[in-house]
Amino acid sequence: MIELKDVSKIVTSGSEQLTILDTLNLNVPSGQFLSVVGPSGSGKSTLLGLIAGLDAPSAGSVIIDGEDLTALDEDRLARLRGDKIGFVFQFFHLIPSLTAYENVLVPMELAEAPRPAEKAHRLLDEVGLSDRKHHYPSQLSGGEQQRVAIARALANDPAILLADEPTGNLDSANGRHIIDLLVDVHRKRKTTIVLATHDAALAARGNVILTLRGGQVDSLREISGDKETRAKPRVTASSPS
Amino acid sequence: MNFVFRMAGREMRASWRRLVFFFICVAIGVAAIVALRSVVQNIRATLVQEAKTLTAADVIVQSDRPWDDGTRAIMDQSLAAFPVTARTESIETMTMTAPADEDKEIATMIELRALQPAFPLYGDLVLESGRPYSHHLLENRGALVRPELLTRLGIQVGDGVAIGGQVYTVRDVIVKEPGQPLGVFRFGPRVLVDYDDLVRSELLGVGGRVRYQVLLRTDEASIDPLIGTLTEALRREYVSVRSYRETGDQLGRRLGRAEDYLSLVGFVIVILGGIGIWSVVGVFMRRKLKSIAILKCVGASTKQIFGVYLIQVVGLGLGGSVLGLGLAHLAVESVPPGVVVGLSMEGYGITWSAVLQGVGIGVLVSVLFSLIPLMESRRIKPLLLLRQQMDRPAASGKQTGRLGTIDVWELAAAGAVLIALIALASWQAGDFEVGLMVTTSFAVVAVVLHLTGMLLVRAIEPLGRKGSFPFRHAVLGLSRPGNQTRMILLAVGLGTFFILGTRGIEANLLEQFRMELEDDAPDMFLVDLQPDQVTPAEERLMSLGAREVRMVPVLRARVTGVQGRDVTLQGYEEVREERRLRREFTVTYRDHLEANERILEGRFWDPTPSSEAEVSIEDDFQEDVGIQVGDMMRFDILGREVGARVTSIRDVEWDDARNGGFMFVFRPGALANAPHTFLGFVKAPLDSLARAKLQRDIVAEFPNVSIVDLRDILLTLHGVVEKLALAVTLVGAIALISGVMILVGSVAMTKFQRQYEASILRTLGASGKTVRRMVLLEYGTLGALAGTVGGLGAPLLTWVLCEHLFDVPWQPNLAWSLYAIPLTALGVTIVGMATTLDILRNKPLAILRAE
Repeated sequence: MIELKDVSKIVTSGSEQLTILDTLNLNVPSGQFLSVVGPSGSGKSTLLGLIAGLDAPSAGSVIIDGEDLTALDEDRLARLRGDKIGFVFQFFHLIPSLTAYENVLVPMELAEAPRPAEKAHRLLDEVGLSDRKHHYPSQLSGGEQQRVAIARALANDPAILLADEPTGNLDSANGRHIIDLLVDVHRKRKTTIVLATHDAALAARGNVILTLRGGQVDSLREISGDKETRAKPRVTASSPS
Repeated sequence: MNFVFRMAGREMRASWRRLVFFFICVAIGVAAIVALRSVVQNIRATLVQEAKTLTAADVIVQSDRPWDDGTRAIMDQSLAAFPVTARTESIETMTMTAPADEDKEIATMIELRALQPAFPLYGDLVLESGRPYSHHLLENRGALVRPELLTRLGIQVGDGVAIGGQVYTVRDVIVKEPGQPLGVFRFGPRVLVDYDDLVRSELLGVGGRVRYQVLLRTDEASIDPLIGTLTEALRREYVSVRSYRETGDQLGRRLGRAEDYLSLVGFVIVILGGIGIWSVVGVFMRRKLKSIAILKCVGASTKQIFGVYLIQVVGLGLGGSVLGLGLAHLAVESVPPGVVVGLSMEGYGITWSAVLQGVGIGVLVSVLFSLIPLMESRRIKPLLLLRQQMDRPAASGKQTGRLGTIDVWELAAAGAVLIALIALASWQAGDFEVGLMVTTSFAVVAVVLHLTGMLLVRAIEPLGRKGSFPFRHAVLGLSRPGNQTRMILLAVGLGTFFILGTRGIEANLLEQFRMELEDDAPDMFLVDLQPDQVTPAEERLMSLGAREVRMVPVLRARVTGVQGRDVTLQGYEEVREERRLRREFTVTYRDHLEANERILEGRFWDPTPSSEAEVSIEDDFQEDVGIQVGDMMRFDILGREVGARVTSIRDVEWDDARNGGFMFVFRPGALANAPHTFLGFVKAPLDSLARAKLQRDIVAEFPNVSIVDLRDILLTLHGVVEKLALAVTLVGAIALISGVMILVGSVAMTKFQRQYEASILRTLGASGKTVRRMVLLEYGTLGALAGTVGGLGAPLLTWVLCEHLFDVPWQPNLAWSLYAIPLTALGVTIVGMATTLDILRNKPLAILRAE
């Protein structure tokens, strides 16, 4: 489902070159729940950005569902994200001028999905926001905003859900609620999830934990999941050294 | 596509408040275009519609010589083939009149018209008494007069007036008259008399400027063939044939020019609004970075996003245009044309054509000026959602991608926008060259402003490390990436440029109308003195208190042929093709040059009279027609053919026409026996009673003589100029108010930019005073720079328009440009401070949270 081949990301800051990801190989088969952990600056967000096609690697290729992202232009990338990838951000990133309901509606309208209104209502019901559908983001609490963001990410039934520190801006109770939602999504929809976090307890809710350090794979650890998940192909990851 | 429309709708619901200023920019521009164009169109429509009434006939055949039997025969023969349903004749001339009551010491010039019973063929002659006009009122020396004559002579209906040695009784007062002369200027009030009465008088003697007219009524389809036939048949005679449509066309053209100018002013206001729009959309897009990134993240293509915002722009453009229509309606209602041109008309209001043009331009300009800021949406990368740098897109790697940098596509778009603006301006000005020049001068100033902005940022950057805290931050404020320095410079600079430009034009136009009388110049002219009247008139004038009298012989001549080195014209038909030569000229003969003349080529003759005719020509004939020294010219002087050799070419200083200016001056001798009259240049007594008595006595003694009193004419002219000045000032005021509003708006727009930063500074402990000083320095510098560039650029615009659109001499007004610099700096600072006070009043936390 997600395949990174010798992916490096180097940025130039002034006259210095900074390696954020160093020749990373990663394979996440369909249906896996991968948690990526590591200290700030270890390359977690960059990794997610590369998988979503939000960023282009300096070297190597990113293959999503058999398609090489590095060969696609911005508009094709946008369409691919709309079809296959849902993204949940640390800072929610809802469109401030739209209501919760409309925020969920947008990806479906873009993909010209059938009966978007009905589905938007259902998704908001699922994340427990039945009574706040017509509120604007500024009228919602952080936890509520993040639930809208999850509903939006699920709108087109993406095969992949990427979550970048989704609880980073929430208190622990709200954070737990969000992770429960993600686990639920993984279990019921069989969505492939990549979660970036620096909270070890949250990371442990996934099947596999990938630890990054200085842009390289530090460790890859499987967690005894349910029978179904164990039967699936394994996540593999490697760095040069 | 559906998504694009729905999304645009939702966005607009939230963002229209931020775009209110956009709205206003469009509205002001559209209002200006629609109001200005509507007023002129109304006037034009009314006048053109009434062209038939203005002419009082379908076809007019006119000559300045009495109809001789030959001409009449040709005319009758030609007309026989056409269904002419009515025919009447009239005579127009300028002459003097005085009250029959000899105690009233006053005389005045009038425009006399003599009518036959069938007049008018079209339209109604409306009289003050309310009774219908009938020719009986004129018979037996009756006269109908304009009310001005009664006041001027101090007489009333029933009194007698002396015209050409006869006494006529004023029978009624003219309210409305078909066939009135066009144009704002008249030599005197209209007086209507009977045709036969005038023919019997001694007024139609030699040399007077008299127009003999035959008015014809026929059906619409026959007009053109009839004119063709008559023109062909009468081509050997000095006769003009025209239809009422030409009067309409002529009027239409003249007013068309006014319409085009006013539209151009309107259009420039729209451009100014466009700059406001640019600034609004630029700021707006910056605030939409996050939404656009999110849309891209959830699968929207660049095209869709562009569509979402373009639709908003079109929607706002339309909305603003509608608001503009409302404003225009109010404006047109509140300033009826009667105020300016003294016309009353029915169905007056904004016109459909103006509405369509206004709305079309409103939407087009909205789109054109939004295009480049909108294109920045292409560069926004969804990646920025992973970072917390919402103030600028794509901050990674080498792609610093600041808003404000330009790529190939944007350059192409900028080119397309420029071409579209030139096309729009040309369309509105009705002239490609003018459109090109106005747009180009705007573009030049814009580029200069842009470069100035860049240089300024570059130059002051090192200062950011020195000086006081407010100073350093003001410098940083000006040079920080993605700020509004260049936008404000552009908007304010162009605004100043435009406001000064229109005021300059206003001043130049008014200057053109201003005519001052020099005390030492002749201020009264006697026209049509017969040779035997010269000496008695001279003596009489001196005895009546004239300070100086000079009599100049004048002859009325037409050129009938040129036999020259570079140009040969055989007969009047060929001469007619030459625009410069085809009119009738007033010529003179004398043995000396006047003070305002200079010989350019050849040699002026000796004072001795010569029987061989020699002529000195004005240099225009050499330049435009190609007549050279040594060429032979032939003239028709009231039926006599005279040949003359060109022996010199003169430059005449027309501005200094104290002694008159003549295109052709002959050597004395050859013309002595030709029929001619004299023109008297008189320095009349300055006292108005003495002047009135002088006019009165001269008219009584020499009834055929007309007196033109320059002081009287100047009074009339001043009235006309005042009306014109009012009109020009109104347009200037509209431009000024629009300009100032747009300036205020564009400065206020940058408030959002500043708010966040000021809040952080205050959170960090900066006092209100520090923030204020910061803002003061920042805006003060910007305003001064914008004022300097705009103020120095304005004379350019004035020059272009004066030279190429109005044909008036250009006079720069640098004082205004100098005033403009501190004023603009002050204005920008005040607006900047006003918007910042708002920030200072609010608690910083509220703003930080909202971000």
